[in-house]
Amino acid sequence: MVDAFAYVPAVVLLPFFSFLVALGAGKYLPKGGAFGGIAATAGSFLLSIWIATAVAGGRAYDETLYTWAAGDQFELTFGALIDPLSALMLVIVTLVALLVHVFSLGYMNDEGETGLPRYYAGLGLFTASMLGFVVADNLLMAFMFFELVGLCSYLLIGFHFREPGPPSAAKKAFLVTRFGDYFFLVGVVAVFATFGTAAFAGEGSFPALAEAALAGSGDVWTPGGLGVETWFTVVGLLVLGGVVGKSAQFPLHTWLPDAMEGPTPVSALIHAATMVAAGVYLVARMYGFYALTPTTLAVIAFVGGFTALFAATMGVVKDELKQVLAYSTISQYGYMMLALGAGGYVAAVFHLTTHAFFKALLFLGAGSVIIAMHHNEDMWDMGGLRSKMPVTYYTFLAGSLALAGIFPFAGFWSKDEILYEALVHGLNEPLLLGGYVMGLLAVPVTAFYTFRMVFLTFHGEPRSATARDPEPVRWNVKGPLTVLGSLAVVTGFINMVPVQKVLGLEGIDYLHRWLDNEWGGIEGLSSHHYADIGPYSSGYIAGGEVPTVLVGAAVSLGLALAGLGLAWRLYNVASPTEHTAKLGGIKDVLYNNYYLDELQVWIAYRTEDIAGGSDTFDQGIIDGVVNGVSSVSLAGGSRVRRIQTGLVTQYATMLTLGLIALLVVLGLNGGWFL
Amino acid sequence: MVPVQWYLLLAAGIFCIGLFGVLTRNDALYFLMSVELMMNAANINFVAFAWYYSNLTGQVFALFVIALAAAEVAIGIGIILVMYRNFGDIDVTVPTEMRW
Repeated sequence: MVDAFAYVPAVVLLPFFSFLVALGAGKYLPKGGAFGGIAATAGSFLLSIWIATAVAGGRAYDETLYTWAAGDQFELTFGALIDPLSALMLVIVTLVALLVHVFSLGYMNDEGETGLPRYYAGLGLFTASMLGFVVADNLLMAFMFFELVGLCSYLLIGFHFREPGPPSAAKKAFLVTRFGDYFFLVGVVAVFATFGTAAFAGEGSFPALAEAALAGSGDVWTPGGLGVETWFTVVGLLVLGGVVGKSAQFPLHTWLPDAMEGPTPVSALIHAATMVAAGVYLVARMYGFYALTPTTLAVIAFVGGFTALFAATMGVVKDELKQVLAYSTISQYGYMMLALGAGGYVAAVFHLTTHAFFKALLFLGAGSVIIAMHHNEDMWDMGGLRSKMPVTYYTFLAGSLALAGIFPFAGFWSKDEILYEALVHGLNEPLLLGGYVMGLLAVPVTAFYTFRMVFLTFHGEPRSATARDPEPVRWNVKGPLTVLGSLAVVTGFINMVPVQKVLGLEGIDYLHRWLDNEWGGIEGLSSHHYADIGPYSSGYIAGGEVPTVLVGAAVSLGLALAGLGLAWRLYNVASPTEHTAKLGGIKDVLYNNYYLDELQVWIAYRTEDIAGGSDTFDQGIIDGVVNGVSSVSLAGGSRVRRIQTGLVTQYATMLTLGLIALLVVLGLNGGWFL
Repeated sequence: MVPVQWYLLLAAGIFCIGLFGVLTRNDALYFLMSVELMMNAANINFVAFAWYYSNLTGQVFALFVIALAAAEVAIGIGIILVMYRNFGDIDVTVPTEMRW
């Protein structure tokens, strides 16, 4: 029997090879190297499934594969960690990457784009970096692949580099996420300094050491005699900086809407499975550390809840299909952060899973609409596409129902569980309760903008010539949509906790059992363990667990239906009009994203003095010293060379004088003249 | 018996005469002769010390220096000839091309 875990590196390396092939030989291959990428991701997908079955067979894997630097204090290594969480994530990432590759055939090749080898190389490297990040067994390796993911997003968002928008959006994405990653890097160094290791799992891993240190045993370094718990909070918040940047949480979310300048399949990959998911995955990966610091958890929950509501309100007024989806992504990742902060580890991973499928679906559906509309993304030019592209319509509808959280689609189950966790844990925690209220308020807004988008795009009368006669799409677009559409309907059934609690059925919360190492896993990396070390206790409303479940689900479903109903009333008419004008001044604020971009630019300009000062210091002092040394040597040289007169008698004189000087010095030292 | 100091004083005197010639004369032939004087001053030292210590090494060295001086003259005369051909003069202050 061949060991599935021996192929863990291959999962990462296959897309990397497709990157090399597309980069080196893409020009000579049919379809610009697309088939290499499809084959590689399909291979990775199959291997991931095999690995997941091995985990389901009761095993796990945590090995150091390569030590690239070793010192007295600690070693820097590459390794692979396969537990239920990373196995699940591998399957999600490879599946979405595979479908995105197939979809790209329709979106890029059939549309006659140029530079396809570059595109497929980027996709391959993107997938490979994300997979490397997922299997990483220590924080430093995770950080390195985290950065690679950021680099790839830069390359792919700026794919259409000849137009003015994409390069600027790519730069923005790179710089804003880099700003967060800067704190992450400091956090990585802090983790090494504190624990001497950055491993995620095992006896000597840093979450285990932190747990021991808080229990009073074990010895960790803290700067300046700081209390252990305070210092852990600081470290947790530093690492969280990278998470906030990558997962587009407030206030570093501004790059994500701009990232819509990239090709639509890339947006699907970024939003569903790679870049943005990386942040949330990182918190889940080191949840054993975060669960120890209540302050960090409260911050995560509050930021997440705030982002969920904040981004949802901006999605309400957008005119472009992909912009609405971009804000929905920010909002949904806010939910995941809320869940993590609320101690709902499983709920967050559950939402990460369902969201990966329905958001990939929505983006690919949007891509299909964009093909049909000849790359016009304005929803006010669409309308009536329902009858012309039924496959896209029904799959998109499934994704929208999931996003809006309508029973029984995938998003309902995961969002409901998040809100439930936030509620029961938040009854004793004011910050958490604040996050819960904001998350709840975001539910009707989400449903509203989602169905505003659906109605404007697919219902009513066509509002432009292209919408009356859209371009047909082929199998390579419909295929991925169908797969994801089915998943968006059924993924929720892997974790029907409310049904279990209400009906008293046992064992249908498969994801809970999966993440609780019920089949297999690594000691200390289970949801059970996280709940034990976490700071929260549960409280219930309406007297008991079952009523709380029912009330919570009923409230969130009712709010979602209310939002849907409002969108139905306003926009499901033959020729809808803009109702946003009724919002008055708020509309402008929302339309301009609360002027946050302007604020960030303003802040950036305020730092001009600091930048100018450092520039002066650099130019004047640092460069001055270097230039001074060279000009002194130059000037000295041009004076001293004058003694080379070319007159041989003068050379002889100098020789003699030198000899005499030498004799005098030696004589004085030797005491001849005394 | 003449003490060894006198030989050394003689050698130092001859060396200074040679040095004086090198430093003050411009004529290349005077140069050559002055260098020859300095070398022979060294030879006197070699021989004087060889006699003083009853050791033949100094005398052997003196023979080597004489052979070397012969070779040096051959090369020196060659240089002077080339100099005369190129500059029409054997004044050492005339060729000053090899300077800054």
